[in-house]
Amino acid sequence: MNDPQTRLKCVLLVVFAMVTLLAADDPRQIVGESERRTNASSERYEGLLRVIDAKGKIADKRWMFMRLGSHGNSKALLRFTEPAEVKGVTLLIVNHPDRASDQWMWTPALQRERRIALQDRSTRFFGTDFSFEDLEERDVDQFEYRLLGEQAIDGAVCWRIESTPAAKKISQYTRSEVWIRKDTYAFAQVENFVKGDLVRRLKHSDFVQLQGIWTARNLEMTDLRRNSRTILTLEKVQYNIPLREEDFTIQALRNPL
Amino acid sequence: MRLLRLISWPYLRKHALRSLLTVVGIVLGVAVFVAMHTANQAVFFGFERTVDRIAGAAQLQVSTGEAGFPEEVLERVQAVPEVQIAVPVIEAAAATRLAGQGNILILGVDMTGDRGLRDYDLESGDEAVIDDPLVFLAQPDSIIVTKEFADRNHLSVGSQLPLSTMVGDKAFRVRGIMRSGGLTSAFGGNLAVMDIYAAEQVFGRGRRFDRIDLKVKEGVPVDRARAALQQALGVGFDVESPSARGQQLESTLAVYAITMNVSSVFALFIGMFIIYNSFSIAVTQRRSEIGVLRALGAPRRQIRDLFLVESAISGLLGSVAGIALGIVMARAMVGSISSMLEGIYGVAERADEVSADPRLLGTALAVGVLTSMLAAWLPARSAARVDPVQALQKGRYQVLTAGESRARRVAAAILTAAALACLWIGTSLWFYAGYVLTVLAALLLVPAASLWSARALRPLLKWIRPVEGSLAADSLIQSPRRTSGAVAALMLSLAQVIGLGGVGRESYNSIVDWLDTALNPDLFISGSQNLSDRTFRFPKSLGDEIATVPGVSEVQPVRSFRVPVKGTPTLLVVIEMASFEKRGHRAMVAEDSRGMYRLTEAGQGVIVSDNFARLQRMEIGDRVDLATPAGRITLPIVGIITDWSDQQGSIFLDRALYERQWGDDTANVFRVYAAPGTDPRVVRRRILERIGPSQPRMLVLTNKEVRDWVLKLTGQWLQLTYSQVFIAVLVAVLGIVNTLTVSIIDRKRELGVLRAVGGFRRQIRQTVWMEAVAIGVVGLALGLLFGAVNLYFLLQITSRDLSGMSLPYRFPISIALMLFPTILAAALLSALWPAESAVRTSLVEALEYE
Repeated sequence: MNDPQTRLKCVLLVVFAMVTLLAADDPRQIVGESERRTNASSERYEGLLRVIDAKGKIADKRWMFMRLGSHGNSKALLRFTEPAEVKGVTLLIVNHPDRASDQWMWTPALQRERRIALQDRSTRFFGTDFSFEDLEERDVDQFEYRLLGEQAIDGAVCWRIESTPAAKKISQYTRSEVWIRKDTYAFAQVENFVKGDLVRRLKHSDFVQLQGIWTARNLEMTDLRRNSRTILTLEKVQYNIPLREEDFTIQALRNPL
Repeated sequence: MRLLRLISWPYLRKHALRSLLTVVGIVLGVAVFVAMHTANQAVFFGFERTVDRIAGAAQLQVSTGEAGFPEEVLERVQAVPEVQIAVPVIEAAAATRLAGQGNILILGVDMTGDRGLRDYDLESGDEAVIDDPLVFLAQPDSIIVTKEFADRNHLSVGSQLPLSTMVGDKAFRVRGIMRSGGLTSAFGGNLAVMDIYAAEQVFGRGRRFDRIDLKVKEGVPVDRARAALQQALGVGFDVESPSARGQQLESTLAVYAITMNVSSVFALFIGMFIIYNSFSIAVTQRRSEIGVLRALGAPRRQIRDLFLVESAISGLLGSVAGIALGIVMARAMVGSISSMLEGIYGVAERADEVSADPRLLGTALAVGVLTSMLAAWLPARSAARVDPVQALQKGRYQVLTAGESRARRVAAAILTAAALACLWIGTSLWFYAGYVLTVLAALLLVPAASLWSARALRPLLKWIRPVEGSLAADSLIQSPRRTSGAVAALMLSLAQVIGLGGVGRESYNSIVDWLDTALNPDLFISGSQNLSDRTFRFPKSLGDEIATVPGVSEVQPVRSFRVPVKGTPTLLVVIEMASFEKRGHRAMVAEDSRGMYRLTEAGQGVIVSDNFARLQRMEIGDRVDLATPAGRITLPIVGIITDWSDQQGSIFLDRALYERQWGDDTANVFRVYAAPGTDPRVVRRRILERIGPSQPRMLVLTNKEVRDWVLKLTGQWLQLTYSQVFIAVLVAVLGIVNTLTVSIIDRKRELGVLRAVGGFRRQIRQTVWMEAVAIGVVGLALGLLFGAVNLYFLLQITSRDLSGMSLPYRFPISIALMLFPTILAAALLSALWPAESAVRTSLVEALEYE
């Protein structure tokens, strides 16, 4: 320990440990770290969307999801494949780090696209319990955070963090609470509030590590006002695959592959 | 009360039929008053309610008249910070192809955002489909109908609904049924919702919306949002509250309200004279009772009040019955009035929504009672003046109904002078005052005119039947005021027939002239049999395609729609001016010295129809403001032509200027001129063969078909005259029956003497018949005379405030000729019962005094 180099190493180790410890309790750092760990240049999966209404009636849809870029600076295509009457309907989402995303919908039977207006983002996403806004990617800088404590979700200890939209962010939600697992930094649950009322709960489950990224293959959104829920099951998830920028444009919507 | 029970009630019971006739007079007047105003209000409030229901929670609406605007405007509106939700809307009327259902209003909306404004409360349907806008949006044949419409047509979810669209008849699939209430009540349920982008395609809108409905952010005053939107969009856009659309209709209906008011005032006047007549009978018949009352010490005031209270009760009963009848009549009338609504929305408001306004009913009740009391005033005053001594002498003849008075003639002369002075001043208020004064003057002159006419008729009647004719004429001459009630009612009624008939006939003739000179294309290519239906639009390129068909000499694309001008929805007719000049042989009223067609073609002015110029009090050089999506344009009037395209007037604009300012190159109608020597029917077949398959919506109408359609619409106006003839006949029958009844009672002794000296029953009958025919002739003569005056006023009203058309003054001789046999037959018919009553009178009773 008398060796200056050893002392320096000790000091650096202590400082690093302290920084890590402090960082671990900084909600923004936690969310940032979670974002960093799920970072991928692209993503593709096939989704099964199951809507279970208040009476227990079930309706299924399937889609193909592709994303280029990550976390608030990405483009995504969501193309419905089943049932037959919605096959080919495609949603193009262009996320921006500094403002709300742009969204367009392509309807093959009409051979035309329509823009989903910003004001319409709070409406339900085509009969599911997700809203259009829920499909946007959350960028860490668009929210302000407050650590509320720790809580276990499905047996995993999580940080419970409150996020409120930053002044420039337009959101239907007044605030949200997110649970991030301490072991994997994966999102375990998100609860969304409108003026103090809990309106939607998104639960992540069936975690698996794919290409080094902890991925929830089951997302269950519950609409507490309608008492209905939608389960999105992710299949054939792939990250960092080669995707072409030009496939994520309105022109490409008009000429689908 | 006691007098009413002891005196009035037994009389009413004994003369139940006549009492009923008295009430009928009030019923008629009040019913017409209530019917006309209720129907008017029902259409207006129905429209307002419909606008509210369709607007949902929208606080403001952005539009450019009926022209529509490019889709890009939506993003500009949504970008305004004060706006919370802005959603596009297309409204289109489509024929349902279902028996008896007519048109349905299709509301094209964007379901992704529209639920923020309108509540589509769905009753049935596969929840996964209905509640899932994705299927609704993905399938362009999706449609949601109202429960009312579904029930009427036995539709359920999954049913197919055939609709006439721009791409031909198309089957839509019902994917949802809206619960009753709110939105679904609009147009009695004849409303359906579909995706706006699908609606754009099937109704040929291109990439244009009709309107944007919006809600402002919480806490933002609507006026501030309106100002912000107006600034963001420019002056070419109207940013108004949904109720402003109702105000547009109000201005359209206002002109009809004038006609209705004139007609209902006439109806009340007619009713008043029938009541007057009936009370005159009552006073005559109850002369002895009045004498007893007076002998027992009843003051004159009490006698007068007794009759006035009776009239008030009759008025009340008549008004109640009249209100009920009026509401029934309003239900029948609302259909024709709501056709105006059809002109604005394309779908008619349904009659089952008619309900009366309590304030109107209160007014009708008061008007009925007051009219009745006013009409009974003179008979009541006569009753009060009964001399008890004379009245108690059985059979003693007493002329209660005095002769015509000089004072009345003087008053009539003063009123006539005042009326002329009002007409000389000429402004609207004074003109209508002049009209009312003229009617009053004519009414005051009726007793004198009746006397003169009866004197003039005497030789003729005597020549036909020396004894019976003389007696009949003398009866009229001796008591002109007894006859004058019936004559006045008949005169007013016939004057309305002549006035309305004259205006109708001249309108018809003018339209025929216009059709002959101006509407000269050989073929019309339209999306609808109804050329005024502007739901369907064709691309301009279709005109170029039609022009290549062999035998086609020229094609005129026409785009017409309504724009607000000085608050009045005015028809803008967009046409290529060079072609318009070449082909249109329009009667020119006035023109800029530099040439109206040249200036309009250069975009330096507009041509307007003469009715527009007259209604808006505008002339050559005055400037017309037009709001366009590219900004407001102000153009001078460079020409005025005769045109009957629209009763609110038309503005003709060059197509090139329109395309620049509105960014729209569609057309509602293509006018096609066949090459000389080519049979238009052959050209029609070629057009259908070549273009028909790619344009299933396209209808090719011949000039004759269009003419027939226009004339059929015009003919409906004449129908009004025929309904007035019916009222005139009813008035004649009622009035003459009453008059003859009084006459027979008055002349009981005279008729008794006639029979005692050997007169036959046949002679008595014929005397009464001749008296009836004489009343009919006098009423006819005065009616035709005053009708000539009334026609002048109605032509002026038409020109000033209704259609703005200057119609020539021509007395409708054919209508007058038709009235002669009708009224004389009615007079004779009404004499049958009184004549039998006169014949059966007891001779002993009649000659008791002798």
